[in-house]
Order: sequence, then structure tokens, then C-alpha cells
Amino acid sequence: MSFIIYALLNTAFVMLISPLFVSLIKKVKAYTQGRQGPPLLQTYYMLLKLLKKERVYSDNTSLIMRITPYINIVCVLVASLCVPVVYIPAQIAGFGSIILFLYLLVFAKFFMALAGLDAGSTFGGMGSSREMTVSAVIEPVIIIVFAALGLLLKTTNLYDMFTTSLNSSLFINPSTLLISLSLFIILIVETARIPVDNPETHLELTMIHEAMILEYSGSDLAMMEMSHAVKQTILMAVFINILIPWGLTSAPNALTVSISAVTFIIKGMVLAVAVGFFESMFAKSRLFRLPNLFMLAFFFSFSTILFELLK
Amino acid sequence: MMMNLLFVCGLCVFFGLALAQIVFVTKASAVVRRFSLWAMLLASILFLAFSLNIVLHNSTFSLNLYELTNDLRFSFLVDRLAAYFMLIISLVSGVACLYSLGYIEHNGTNTGKNFLVAMMSLFIISMLLIVASDNTFSFLFFWEIMSLTSFFMVLFEREKPDTRKSALFYFVMTQMSTVFLMFGFIAIHHATGSFDIGSVTGVSPFFKGAVFLSLFIGFGIKAGIMPFHKWLPYAHSASPSNISALMSGVMIKVAIYGLVRYLVFVLTPDRWWGVMVLIFGTFSAVLGVIYALKEHDIKKLLAYHSIENIGIIVIGIGLYLIFQSYGFTDLATLALIAALFHSLNHALFKSLLFLTTGSVINATGTRNIEKMGGLIKVMPYTGILFLIGAVSIAALPPFNGFVSELMIFQAFLQSFVIGNPFLKIILFLGLSLFALTSALAAACFVKAFGLIFLAAPRSEEARKAKEVSTSMIAAPAILAIGCLLLGVFSFQLFSSQGYTLPIPNLMVIGLVLIITLALVWLFMRLVGNKNSRKSETWGCGIISQNSKMEYTASGFSEPILTIFRPIYRTRKKSERNFNDAGKSIFKDGTAEIQTFKLFEERIYIPVANFVQKLSNIISNLHDVDLDTYILYSFIAVVILILAVGWLI
Repeated sequence: MSFIIYALLNTAFVMLISPLFVSLIKKVKAYTQGRQGPPLLQTYYMLLKLLKKERVYSDNTSLIMRITPYINIVCVLVASLCVPVVYIPAQIAGFGSIILFLYLLVFAKFFMALAGLDAGSTFGGMGSSREMTVSAVIEPVIIIVFAALGLLLKTTNLYDMFTTSLNSSLFINPSTLLISLSLFIILIVETARIPVDNPETHLELTMIHEAMILEYSGSDLAMMEMSHAVKQTILMAVFINILIPWGLTSAPNALTVSISAVTFIIKGMVLAVAVGFFESMFAKSRLFRLPNLFMLAFFFSFSTILFELLK
Repeated sequence: MMMNLLFVCGLCVFFGLALAQIVFVTKASAVVRRFSLWAMLLASILFLAFSLNIVLHNSTFSLNLYELTNDLRFSFLVDRLAAYFMLIISLVSGVACLYSLGYIEHNGTNTGKNFLVAMMSLFIISMLLIVASDNTFSFLFFWEIMSLTSFFMVLFEREKPDTRKSALFYFVMTQMSTVFLMFGFIAIHHATGSFDIGSVTGVSPFFKGAVFLSLFIGFGIKAGIMPFHKWLPYAHSASPSNISALMSGVMIKVAIYGLVRYLVFVLTPDRWWGVMVLIFGTFSAVLGVIYALKEHDIKKLLAYHSIENIGIIVIGIGLYLIFQSYGFTDLATLALIAALFHSLNHALFKSLLFLTTGSVINATGTRNIEKMGGLIKVMPYTGILFLIGAVSIAALPPFNGFVSELMIFQAFLQSFVIGNPFLKIILFLGLSLFALTSALAAACFVKAFGLIFLAAPRSEEARKAKEVSTSMIAAPAILAIGCLLLGVFSFQLFSSQGYTLPIPNLMVIGLVLIITLALVWLFMRLVGNKNSRKSETWGCGIISQNSKMEYTASGFSEPILTIFRPIYRTRKKSERNFNDAGKSIFKDGTAEIQTFKLFEERIYIPVANFVQKLSNIISNLHDVDLDTYILYSFIAVVILILAVGWLI
């Protein structure tokens, strides 16, 4: 029962704030380019507009194209239950399992890549191919980061990880700082941002994520955009909850939950601004240069492991 | 008594059918074959009931069938481990028989088909009896029958030169495997004085290590562990699809059974064995999937995935050995259960993939995925079944592949409990390679499913393809349901058998997924725009795009091929001819990209060359008259007498 309350509260909260972070990053990027940028509520307007539009399907498409938006949003929403932002609930059914969390995201990605191939467009195929390549090469990094965290926090469950980091002052720990670099790179890669992918181009040969969803329109596109926004929020939440968990609570009542929600919004906005600045500082790099970036992240997290092992 | 009856009945049916099919190999008609396949299906169900009973009640069964001498006998002892593997074999065999009802009539001559059914029957029963054997003599006897029958089945389309070459390659490899096993078994007999499969104690670590290496190579060849894997892509692509499903789903699991049986119950493992097994497993897994990505022949692609999955199973066994040697029993149990569960899971989803692939190949007449495309519209059932197989092998929740890979991840992630820092570093490196494997497998199946079933057809054959017959849909459907159920109810399954493992309760998670889906769907019905219309794929304004503009399989895997170029060692060759001396007017030319066959060119061919040279020397000795042969015999007898005198 208590888990249902948590699930509803957490999901509703995540869905509510996700578009805000998307707009905020765009706003920051616009400022650095000397533009005004869209209003902070722009992503909400866009989602509402898309919901009211009809869908257009290519003649080539099959059922995969039609079910993928549902699969995407469902997987991402269930994955968001693994990352508590309002309060840390009690363990139930192994929901905090890292592997479950990661593979739910892979599930969404798998179908998105299939949908990219479904219409028979070259752009979609290119996007799928690159997305699966990038996600394959980043996967060892992600696992090693979580293995390093597991070593540091002595658990492989996200709920327990957050509780442990809440109760200790991990921020000053050098290992955490090393891991935070890798976590940040993962955040950039998984949310399809510069220098890995360019979220603003359409029909450029550089794009990955946008190419896969190029054939989507109307309410299907709204679901795809929403799931991307939610995915970004939960990855940010993993970063925030481990590095700066202050405000998060494991003893829920009206006061603590609202404190943790408000602090999460503030922390998330700070992180979104940081991501926006980071994106503005770099140029999109060549696809085949990316493994170097990933090796960097791998190096940081593996050195954390070495550091912890030899301590 | 009941169990005896089940076992013997099943045995009689399989042997009787094989005999009947061989006797009437030229005469029997399609009706007879159909009857045989139904009978084989029933016999598989008998064995399924038999093994399920033993697995669930943790009982044992023994039967002494026939004694040649006191030492050499065909006797069987089925404990829980053996019954578990019998369960896998009988389940997949039954499904393969069901599939064959429709499949077998499509290709080949009447005699060929009858022979294939006979061989299938012998093949299935020999696998069951290997697992059931309680002594090494009977084990090796049925092992040979399994090897020979599978060799004949690979030869089914023997008129093609490729098939003959593949079958010969397979035959040589499989005989090598038997030779190494025989070494190991004779060594064990030397130590214990009997052929029984029982624990070997009180031998020197050196001797034990030698036995282990011999058995590891023997079973490794059959299981397809790198670098002994080369026969798999050849044999699987040459044989009919129902046979590929049996070979890949079950036969290589028999080798895994042998490995587990000897490592866990017979020999007392040393720590370095675990590390070695883990390293071999990791390399099989990573290289298997990396080679799979470059394949466009769908059956070779699946064969390389078998190597990958065997690698994953072997990783589980390696982790078991390591944890066991440090005394972490809980983690060791987790790793061993992961390996065994993945054996079952792989049997299910790989047979499912091979069977649906067989349907696709039948419908399109090609194995090249570049010539397929758009099949989900003409073959919707086959397409969805293949998708379930792909999702399971890519380890997506809540399907069964996810559960076993999650267990291995859990075992890896908790390996920080081990004290030795160097071993920990090896384990964490293994973990990162394992993660890479799993992600590349997902990429590979996006390619396989996407290129075969999605977008517009890439050839006339693919456009004209038709959905296959009922039995060819029903058989994989059983496996697909199995994949889903084993995943969703994994937690309940293990707790009912008394194992509480640190895995998520996928029934609850599945329920949450379904509820979320229902809510999202409801929301979209109420709020979203429900209208849709059809239009053309957007192509920058090009009107009437065709399938030549679609992304190809080579294009899809190109980025991965480029990133992993050091592993593939691609060679690019280009020749250009010019019309003038100044090389400015281009006339014609050729260009090709070859991938370097590392294992073939660096291991197999050098070994083969060495053997060739050796046999040349020996054959020189043969070119003589009778007197010299008598001299040879005399020398041999003298050496033998001296050797015996020295030994005793």
C-alpha cells in the first residue's frame, strides 16, 4: 500500500518536473549564445500541442512503430520507480536493483532503435545503428561506475545506496569525486547531448537520438519526448542522490517529502544549468572519437576501484 | 516402478522408431514420418514427466540396463543435476519434433528425410542417455553416438560442396573432443580403478590439473568455447534448421553438463581452474558477440551467439569455482544457479530463434539478411515469435535471459568480498567485458530483427514470402511462452525450490509494467489525438523511395566494426586499372574488404599443417615391403615388453 503511494507520488513528481529541466537547459544554452531562449514552460506547451495532433505513419511501418512509444514511456516510468526523488521507500520486490534499472532503460532503447529501422528511412537506420553502438560502448563504463559505487557503499541496490550516502558525508570523499566525473559523462551520453549527440539538429549527419524518432509525429511524438525528458530527470536524480543527497528523506511525512521535493527541484535546476554550460563549451565530436571520451570515464571509475581496493 | 516404466518406454520408442526408419528408409512415406515424429514427441513428453518428477522431488533414479562385463556396463543414475539437463533436452527435443512435422517435408529426397528422422531419434535418445549415464564407459559410448548422428544430420544437404566441407570440419572437431575426453576418463580410471562417475580423491594436484585440462578441452570443443568454437558456425549454417535448434539448444548443453558434473562432483577444483574457466568464458562471450555482429548469414549469426551464451554459462561456472574456493557458499550457489538457469534459458530462446529462422529461410529461400526485410507484414506470427526470442537473448526484463544475466551481474558485483586484490581486479575487468557482451548482443538483435522483419522488402523473394504452417508456428510459440513464464515467475520458481536469491520479483515488476501501460493507454485514449493517417517515409523530398535506400546490415554494424577494428583485423584490397600511363583515366577495378580469420589462420591451419607434416613422415615408413612390416611388428612387440616390464 505504502509502495503504491510512493509510486504515484514519485512518478507524478518526476513527470511534472522533467519538461522543466529540458527547457532550462535550452534557456541556458540560448543565453550563452546571446539569445533570449524559449520560456521555461515551452516544453509543456509543446507536449500539449503534440498530444492534440494526429499521427502520421509511413506506409512501410509495422506494429513496432505503433507500440514503441508506449513501451518507451512505460519502461522509463517503471525505471523511475528505482530512483526515489520524493522519499526513499522500504524495499519491495527488488525495485532498487541497479541491473533492473539499467535494463529497463535498455528495453526502451532496444525498441526505439527498432522503430528507427521500421520506416525504412536512411536517417532512422543511421540513428539506430549509432545509438546501439554508443550504448554498447558506454555499457562497460556504466557497469564499472556502479560496481565502484557498490564497492564504496557496500550494496548493489539503489535505495540502499541513496540511504547510505544520505547518512554519510560522501561529498568530501575523493573516490566520490572521481565517480562523479564518470557519472556526469554517462548523463551526457545517455541523454544524447553534445559532444556525443546534438539534440538540436534535425537532418544533420551528426544526429543520433533525433534521427531515430524522426518519423514520429503527433501524440506518439509527445510520448517519445516525454520519455526522453523523464529519462534525463532520473539519470540526473541518480547523480544528485549519490553526490548531494541533502534534503532527501527515508522517513516520509508531509514536511520531509515537500522538503525533499523542493530541494530536488533546486538541485536539479543547478545541475541542468551546469549541463547547459557544459554543452555550450564543447563542439559535437566525431562519432569515432567518442570511445576516447568513454575510455576517460572508464579510467576514472576503474581508478576508483583500484583506489578502494588498495586502501 | 512408475519411473522405470517411463524411462524404458521412452527408450524403446526412440530406438524402435530409429530402427524402423532405417529399415524402411527408402520405402516409408510422409505419413510414416509424421507418425514417427508424433511418437517421438510423445516419448519426449514421457522423459519430460520423468525428469520433472526427479527435479521437483529431488529424488534419484537408477537402472542397470545391460552389462558387457563387470566393469563395462550401460547403467544409469539420474540425480537432480542430470534430471535438470534431461528436462532441457526432452523439452527442446519435443518442440523440435513438433516443428519438424511441418518443416521436414519442405526439402530433400524421400530417403533423405526418412534417414533424417531416424538420426534425429537416435540423436535425442543418445543425448538423454549421456546425461543419465553413471559410468564413463556408457557416457563415452553415447557421446560417440551423439557425435556420429549429428554428423550425419549436418550432411543432410550433401550435394552442396559447402555442406560437405562443414560436415568434415565438424567431424574432425568432434572426434578431437572424444579423444580428449577419453584421455581424461582413462586417467580417472587409472586413479580410482573403476569407470564409475564418483569423486576422485587422494591424487596429486599435478595429475588432477592434467585431468581437468584434458576434460576442459574435450567438453570445451563440444560446447564451443573459444578457441575451439570454429565448427559451430560451419555446422549450424549447413544443417537443417530443426537440427540447428537441437544442436545449438541442446547438444552444446550436454557438454556443459559434463563440465559441471566433473568440476562440481568428480574432481575437487583448485583455485586457478576457476580463474582459467572465467577467462575462457569471458573471451568466448565477448568475441562470440563481436563476430556475430559482422555476420549477415542469419544462421552463422545465431551460431556465434551460441558461442557468446556458452561463454556466459562458463563465466557462471568460473565464478562458482572462484567463490567456492574462497568459501563464499551463498555467492557460489548464486553463480552456479545462474549458469544452470542460463543453460535452460539459452536452450529455450536459441531454439526459438533457430526454428523461426528456419521458417524465414523456408519462406524466402535465402540465409542472407541483406535480402530480407518487411517480413513482419507477411509473416506476423513468425515475426513476433522471433521478436520474443530476440528480446530474451538481449536480456531485457521480464524475459528469462534477463534473470540469468542479472544473477551473474549480482555475483560479479558482490565479488568485492574476496580478499585477493589481483583477483578482484580480474573480476571487475571480467564484469566490464560481460556488460559489453550484453550490450552488443542487444545491438546485434536490433540488427537481426530490424533487417529481417522491418522496413520494406529488399528482394523479390522477401516480397512474395508466405506465413508458414501451423506446426511451424505452434512449436516456437511453446518456447516463447516458456521464455516469458520462466522470466516472470523466476523468483517464485527459485523460492519454491528453497533458494532465496537476491533477484527482483519480476512478477510484481511485470504487474507494475502492465498497470503503467494500462494507465498510459487510458490517458492517451482520453487526452491524446486518436487520429492517424498513412503517408510516405520522409526522404528529404525524394519521391518514390525504394528499398535500395534503406539502411543495410553492413551499414548497421559498420560503426561497431570500425571501433573494434583491432579485433576484426579487416584487410582492404583494391586494384585499379587505368586507360593511360599517367593513371588519370579510370578503366575498371575491384575492391574487397576481408576480415582476418584469426583463429583459423593462427591456430587451426598451423596445427593442421603440423599434423600434415608429421603424417608425411610416417607415410614414408609405410612405403615398404612385407619383411619390413614384420620388422616393425617385432620392434613394437619388443618395446611393449620392455615397457610393461618397466612399468610393473
